Amino acid sequence: MSVSVLVVDDSAMARKMLIRALPPDWDITITQAANGSEALAQYRQGGIDVMFLDLTMPEMDGYQVLETLRNEDLNCLVIVVSADIQEAAQARVRAMGACAFIKKPVDAERIRTVLKDYGLLV
Amino acid sequence: MTIEFIGEDQREALQEVANIGMGQAGASIAKVLGEFVELSVPQISAVSAAGIPAALAALAGDGVASAVRQAFLGELRGEAIVIFSEHSAHDLAELLACADVLDGPAERELLLDISNVLVGACLGGMAQLLRTTIGFSPLSLLADQVPTSMLLQADEISARCALLVEVRFRLEKRAFRSHLVMLMADDAVAALRRALDRFIEEL
Repeated sequence: MSVSVLVVDDSAMARKMLIRALPPDWDITITQAANGSEALAQYRQGGIDVMFLDLTMPEMDGYQVLETLRNEDLNCLVIVVSADIQEAAQARVRAMGACAFIKKPVDAERIRTVLKDYGLLV
Repeated sequence: MTIEFIGEDQREALQEVANIGMGQAGASIAKVLGEFVELSVPQISAVSAAGIPAALAALAGDGVASAVRQAFLGELRGEAIVIFSEHSAHDLAELLACADVLDGPAERELLLDISNVLVGACLGGMAQLLRTTIGFSPLSLLADQVPTSMLLQADEISARCALLVEVRFRLEKRAFRSHLVMLMADDAVAALRRALDRFIEEL
C-alpha cells in the first residue's frame, strides 16, 4: 500500500529539492504544506504516515509542530529536514520526538538510509 | 522606486540558498561560542542606494550598533555587512572567557573574528551550492557603537541600487543579536541571476 508523505517547508524550492531526492522506487502519495499550521491541519485530516518537517518557518515553526504532536499524543513518523544543523538543534528535535534529522542541502543517499532504518523501504 | 532585480523563481532559490548558508554559519558560531543560536527566515529585498542606510537601520532596530564589512569577489561579488547590537561585543567577550581583561580594541577584534566566521561560513556555503568560488577581502570595522541610522552613509555606496539579503542570528540566553546583510550592486546581480538559473535547472 502506498505510504502517505507530508512535506512541510515554507520554501517551495526546498520542498521541490526534497521531493526530487526521495527514492524513485518508494511507493508514496505526497502532500505539501507551507508552514506548521497547514501541516497540522493536513495531519488532522488523517492518513499521514511520514512527515518531512523543516524547522525555520514563519507562522508556526517545526519545533511548535513537534510540541503539538507530542502534547496531543499524535502518531506520525517525523523526519526533520533543516538547514539549522547545530548539534543542539539535532538533539532538541530528537528529544521532542523526531525520529531522524536530515541536513540541508538534502542528500538522496542519506534519505534512503534513514527510510531503510525505519523499515519504510526495503 | 520599485526595482525588479530577480524573478520569483530566482528569489525563492536565493532564499533557500541563503537559508542553507545561514544554517552553516549558525552552526559555526554555535560551536565557537558554545551557545544555541536562533535563526530566522532569510529576507530578500531590492533597495535604492539612497535607501540602504535606512534599510540597515530598520534591521538593526533602535539604539546603537556596530558593523563590520567585508567585500566578496568572484563570479558573485558584493559586500557583506555584519551588524551587531549594542551588547554583542560584551557578550562575546564573556562567552570567550576574557571579559575582565578586554578593552575596546580587543572587543572590536572579537567582532572582526566572529564576522569572519559568519561571512566565511554563510557565503562560502552559498557559493558551494551555486557551484562557484568566492574570495574575500580583509575585514574592516565600518561603525563602532553608533546610532543605527549612522551605520552606513549614503556616500559610501557606489551602486545605484542593490539587492539586499539578510539573515539574523540571536543567542537564546543573551542579548547578542547579529544580522548578516549581503549587498550586491545592480551590475553584479546579472551574474547572480545566471548562477541561480543554473541551480534551478540542476534541481
